Amino acid sequence: MVTGGTLLTQLLNGLSVGMVYVLLAAGLSIIFGVMDVINFAHGEFYALGAYLAVGIAAALSGVTGGFWIALVAAPLIVGVIGGLTERVTIRPLYGRNPLYHILLTFGLVLVIADGIEIIWGTQPKNFAPPALLSGPITIAGFQYSLYNYFVIAVGALIAAGTWLALTETRVGIIIRGGSQDRGMVRALGIDIDRYYTLVFAFGCVLAAFAGIVLGAKQEVALGMGNAIIIPAFVVVVLGGLGSFRGAVVGGLGIGIVQTLTQTYVPALTGVIVYLLMVGILLVKPQGLFGNPEWQNHGGEEGDLLTGGGGGILDTTTRRYLAAALVGVLALVPLGIGVTYSSYIPNSLVLNVLVWALFALSLDFVMGYAGLVSLGHVLFYGVGAYATVMMAMYVTPVFWVGLLAGVALALAVAWFVGYLSIRVSGVYFAMITLGFAQLAYNLVTKFDITGGSDGLYTGYDATYGLGIGEVGQVSLLGDIQLFYYVVLALVVGSYLVARQIMRAPFGSVLQAIRESEDRAEFLGYDTVEYKRRAFMVSGGLAGLAGGLATINSFGVGPSFLFWLKSGEVIVMTLLGGMGTLYGPMLGAGAFLGLKEILLTFGESTPGLLGEVLSQWQGILGLIFVVFVIYVPEGLVSLPETLQARFGAGGGGGGESATDATDAEVSD
Amino acid sequence: MAILETHDLTKRFDELVAVDRVNLSVEAGEFRSVIGPNGAGKTTLFNTITGALRASEGEVVFEGEDVTALPSYERVRRGIGRSFQITNVFGGLTALENVRLAAQSIPSREMSVGSQLFRDKNRFDDVTAHAQRVLEDVGLGEHAETKASTLAYGDQRRLEIGLVLATDPEVVLLDEPTAGMGVEETESTMALVDDVLAEQTLLLIEHDIDLVMDVSDKITVLNRGSVVRTGTPEEVASDEEVQAAYLGGGHA
Repeated sequence: MVTGGTLLTQLLNGLSVGMVYVLLAAGLSIIFGVMDVINFAHGEFYALGAYLAVGIAAALSGVTGGFWIALVAAPLIVGVIGGLTERVTIRPLYGRNPLYHILLTFGLVLVIADGIEIIWGTQPKNFAPPALLSGPITIAGFQYSLYNYFVIAVGALIAAGTWLALTETRVGIIIRGGSQDRGMVRALGIDIDRYYTLVFAFGCVLAAFAGIVLGAKQEVALGMGNAIIIPAFVVVVLGGLGSFRGAVVGGLGIGIVQTLTQTYVPALTGVIVYLLMVGILLVKPQGLFGNPEWQNHGGEEGDLLTGGGGGILDTTTRRYLAAALVGVLALVPLGIGVTYSSYIPNSLVLNVLVWALFALSLDFVMGYAGLVSLGHVLFYGVGAYATVMMAMYVTPVFWVGLLAGVALALAVAWFVGYLSIRVSGVYFAMITLGFAQLAYNLVTKFDITGGSDGLYTGYDATYGLGIGEVGQVSLLGDIQLFYYVVLALVVGSYLVARQIMRAPFGSVLQAIRESEDRAEFLGYDTVEYKRRAFMVSGGLAGLAGGLATINSFGVGPSFLFWLKSGEVIVMTLLGGMGTLYGPMLGAGAFLGLKEILLTFGESTPGLLGEVLSQWQGILGLIFVVFVIYVPEGLVSLPETLQARFGAGGGGGGESATDATDAEVSD
Repeated sequence: MAILETHDLTKRFDELVAVDRVNLSVEAGEFRSVIGPNGAGKTTLFNTITGALRASEGEVVFEGEDVTALPSYERVRRGIGRSFQITNVFGGLTALENVRLAAQSIPSREMSVGSQLFRDKNRFDDVTAHAQRVLEDVGLGEHAETKASTLAYGDQRRLEIGLVLATDPEVVLLDEPTAGMGVEETESTMALVDDVLAEQTLLLIEHDIDLVMDVSDKITVLNRGSVVRTGTPEEVASDEEVQAAYLGGGHA
């Protein structure tokens, strides 16, 4: 029974959550509009604000008004940190393709999140609002939380203030103009670039403020940034990138829809937001209030920088190196019991191989067709789920499951590609992210997919090889057959992908990456080509996901978590996009480094050990440096080094390549 | 017989009518130039004919078929080729690969899925031979293995023409092929166009009337989106309205 009172309560709850979204989305949206930066780190600035406020309030305990001081001081500090971040890391990237901002800010997410963990630890913090704001209040016979009223009021005040500043002050008008049409503002003789730091810092202030008010309502905990950033993006994309009005309407709308769904249609919780986003983008690709011109300002975008890998190593040398690498990988299991335990080949190297395949699949579309898929984990996860479910419910033969996984991943890639490939650039990235989140939320809802626990239960294989078994067919002692199966499949996939790139189909993909317009005016149906490439890529990612279930003995929602999409993008760029083998080396470097950091972290006592154990943050830092200084990835290092140290540096180039190989094979 | 016609072709951007009820009739084998001051709507007319922009009203008829609703790649397949005003070649690929891609376009529709996906792109002898011939024709034979982005500007413009030529078009639309060139380069490029595209019907955009006087069969003068006059170079040059458009419509 829906009574007026509970409905009003729900609406107010929705408004208070919505206000937090508005504060986050407004900053995100203005930052994007003015400088084309998709700021994934926004959620971390939000978390940082909350943690800083906790710290300040704790330091001031006993002082009356500690909460209020923290509420003002913490956002200002975060603003300064944000401004510095823009100066040091984002500034060098202006003029490059917006993809690099996504990649960079993703690296920043890892750095800031781990920084928070090092400083404040893993325990959630309680951050209570002052007594003045706690407890319910009754207005006109209706009882409701005073603090929520406060959130709504103060959120509305700040939003209104921001709007006034944007419409009534000179700086504000320039910024608003810039977020609508930067070229126009430049044409008026205004140097919009000078305002970038200010805009970024201001966005961070709003985010931090949002973090504090929501943190005091719920709790201040690790992962709060991760949890809020994707819904905040949904709001921005729904409302229209660069539109303040869109941020306000989208934020309040999403807040209310979310809260009402939770109460009245619980089955749709978590799903409705992404359904809305995908639906609206398909009908109105620029969002509710977005400027349609954003669709085609391609002329201003920089190119994607692909690793050439040419130059120093000729084809024959590279072929020998590759053969040697595969040979070493084939020999790795022989060292079990001699130099290391079975963990190295059967877990670590297997994992590297699977991720190498996943990275290869992403490079196929990102590096060759220029399609930046932010939700590639969708195909990996779908492949994994289908493999396990087939094995559990239909036939225990693992290979049938694997085949089903690839087939379903292909089908999903066809569906997603069919709907979204005509949408370009940043919007495509966001739609793929939306689909992946949709799947992530869906699998937690059904028993057949194992809900939020996933499907890990053992079962009897009556014939063939079931999932539990296939990983345990021993060739000799701990040397597993499966290791060689995976190695063969991964190397085989690489060879197939490489052959496709050498065939007419692949040559057209490269043409599309260079200039889609031109390719179309040579008579190529470029949309169709991209859709097919997306399917091939989805199939390969599905294969990777299916193979990954061996190591984990099953599948869970973490197979669809968005951070995995980010990680595979990191690997691809780290290794060198557009080379196929580069991203595979990148996967090895990423996971190898992670392993090294974890091992040293465990064995090193004290603070240093603790810092080393934060492998994500350190990798994030390395990644930030890479995006700025070596955007063409590891495979370009020999060339870069030679260019830097002159013609005599050939030896240095060689050893850099050796180092790369070593990281992959150890 | 007219190979390319437009009937009341119109393109509006909100309030602005960039192309206003343009009627063209280009004979097969004709060299037609479209001239007009900057902002006359020449490039928009081109974009509407080639399908880069959708017409607001009117029709584009090619070889008797109404192609107004077709996407641009379908028009290319039927034989409408175009070059771009701003050099638009595949910068990261070699000159030969650029032209090879163009030569591959039409035959690729006949290829089996297997060869499309897996057969080495250089093992389609007809395509490769065609590409090499075109590269020679536009005078870039020596630069086959040069990355397009490192070619000299004039050579990139030649490559641009090579790309169009390699798709075997019936009609070629050239958007200011000599834009940004010096006097000598301009002359040699116009000679090249006249030479290698002699078989094709040509529709050429230019804002400099002197450049097209000698080579054109007919000239269409565009101003503010509408056709002012179509006629032989002599007729057009002596037309008062044309002179007024040029003198009054801004300096070309």
